[in-house]
Amino acid sequence: MTTVLTVDEAAPVRLWHRVSQFLFREARLLDEWRLREWYDEMLTDDIRYSVPATDVRGEKADALGLIDDDAARLRQRIEQLLNGEVWCENPRSRTNRMISNVEIVTDRGTHLDVAANVVVYRFGHGRSDAYVGKYRFELVVEGESLRVRRRVVVLDHETLYEHGKLSIIL
Amino acid sequence: MTIEWQPLAGDRIVIDDLERLSFQVDRRAYTDDDLAALEMTRIFDRCWLYVGHESEVPAPGSYVARDVGGRPVVMVRGSDGVIRVLANSCPHRGALICSQPAGQTRSFRCPYHDWTFSNQGDLVGVPLPDGYGPGFRKADFGLARHRSDSYRGFVFVTFDPEQPRTLTEYLAGATEYLDLIDDQSEVGMEVIQGAQLHGARANWKLMMENSVDIYHFRALHKRYVGYIESLGSVSPRRRGGFGRALGLGHAANELTPAAARPLAYWTPMFPAEVRSRIEATAARFVDRFGAERAERITGTNRALLIFPNVMIIDAIGITIRKIDPVSATRMAITSVALAPKDEDPDIRELRKSHYLTFLGPAGFATPDDIEIIESCQRGYLNRTVRYSDLSRGMNKEIPETTDELPAREFWRQWDRLMHGDDGHFEVAHRGEMVAHRAETVAHRGEMVAHRAETVAHRGETVAHRAETVAHRAEMQGAEPR
Repeated sequence: MTTVLTVDEAAPVRLWHRVSQFLFREARLLDEWRLREWYDEMLTDDIRYSVPATDVRGEKADALGLIDDDAARLRQRIEQLLNGEVWCENPRSRTNRMISNVEIVTDRGTHLDVAANVVVYRFGHGRSDAYVGKYRFELVVEGESLRVRRRVVVLDHETLYEHGKLSIIL
Repeated sequence: MTIEWQPLAGDRIVIDDLERLSFQVDRRAYTDDDLAALEMTRIFDRCWLYVGHESEVPAPGSYVARDVGGRPVVMVRGSDGVIRVLANSCPHRGALICSQPAGQTRSFRCPYHDWTFSNQGDLVGVPLPDGYGPGFRKADFGLARHRSDSYRGFVFVTFDPEQPRTLTEYLAGATEYLDLIDDQSEVGMEVIQGAQLHGARANWKLMMENSVDIYHFRALHKRYVGYIESLGSVSPRRRGGFGRALGLGHAANELTPAAARPLAYWTPMFPAEVRSRIEATAARFVDRFGAERAERITGTNRALLIFPNVMIIDAIGITIRKIDPVSATRMAITSVALAPKDEDPDIRELRKSHYLTFLGPAGFATPDDIEIIESCQRGYLNRTVRYSDLSRGMNKEIPETTDELPAREFWRQWDRLMHGDDGHFEVAHRGEMVAHRAETVAHRGEMVAHRAETVAHRGETVAHRAETVAHRAEMQGAEPR
């Protein structure tokens, strides 16, 4: 009796496709301002969302950044954005997220480290801005579904002089 | 090109009418290119300007390169330990001799022709020196050293060779507030790494006005006020406090804390497990400074405007905000956080977390400030509306924090300097200041009483906080922390 070892060569492609589709769906929900759906369906309960400062860019663990939200503060950010009290997002910005270079950096079975490049175009109050950066996500694999546990957006800009502010979720 | 405004011809930009209790600013001050150019020579070329904090250059050879008053400079601690502010421009042909924003070095080398300078600014190396005659002396070609000085760790520079005041004289009453900030640590304060570098498409003075304007808080920052009130904070109206003139265009607001202070003022907004540590710090301050001064250092919020372009806001965290004009309608903003060097790591994390909630280009408040001042700038395009009004509080002996006294002080100094005049006015003004100071001391007594009330009020909000925490937990399906 012989044992045949089969290698499923399509498995990495399927995983990559699944991760890409996940990121594209996330982008679409954010672009469509379906922020509660995004929060409820795509993030873990211990989500941490951060945007490091543009000078030290997350190289220093103890540095101050631009955003460092735990789940409660991210939820607060979302509720504020949706209830119309955020003057700079009322009327809401129009946004368009372009995601590319999706790469599964490490596959630890239940956890995936994913890298991607992102450009978020934002239009509102007579202004147009582009935020250019890198996604560094930790995804948790739960059966057939994925959720984001760590969501870091490293901006490539030297400063936000042109933008002035960052009032949307990147 | 015609110059529309002749600043010395009696065409007033600032109309300060003490009889009618009216203070108006001609909106050309925010839009006119000629005025913006004149500001550079009459204000930024003359005043003492904030460069940075000593902690940003901690060791021999540490440096930061940045623009101050429109000029590229390097603040560097030389191998001799002395902090200097050097021109970031090669005396040979002009290139920047330092293109890194920060670092540590024994020398700076100009990349154009390899001229090399020590970290004290001396020219130490010139390639192919036989190309110069006997009259060429390296001593004549060091990096320009600007006149600089520091007060309690805050480093300033002046580009005016005839600046008559020492830094301490220039800071006038602002030293009292810098003392209250630097006294927050026995071993010194430090800038936390990670600067918030942003800007606005608006005149720089709009951000100075905004930074000392508490009147706008409840309207524009509903979302932040709602957030901190849900955590047990008290609205500015109930908190009292006052605005204060400090001389030479400097001014401050002083009020009881809205929320909490990571140094030594615990409220239920902070986790219970740090309470004993924070209260122990408060007790240490009482031992060190006595009850009254300790209360002022640890239990009072303040916003300090140092003319012309730096704000230090000491509240839920301490931010140093440097605001630089780029043109009449553009500004660059650099904000950093200041904290005690010897801070407990848990409390440092708490400080950073709450700092980010409020401050910076992605906080729950600053983005709305940026948007609203850009909105003002767009509104000025309608030139039919000629003036902005800053009269609030002129009808009161002691203006409240929701009044516009600090902005008026800023504009009065702006007006004096733009007319090339800051001499005789100051003498009369100092008389006013002394009277005003006596009033504010009396007023502080009232504030302490008022504080007792707000503490009682906070007790009520604690109960409310517990409810909202429970509610939030339900929303998230998680246990409260």
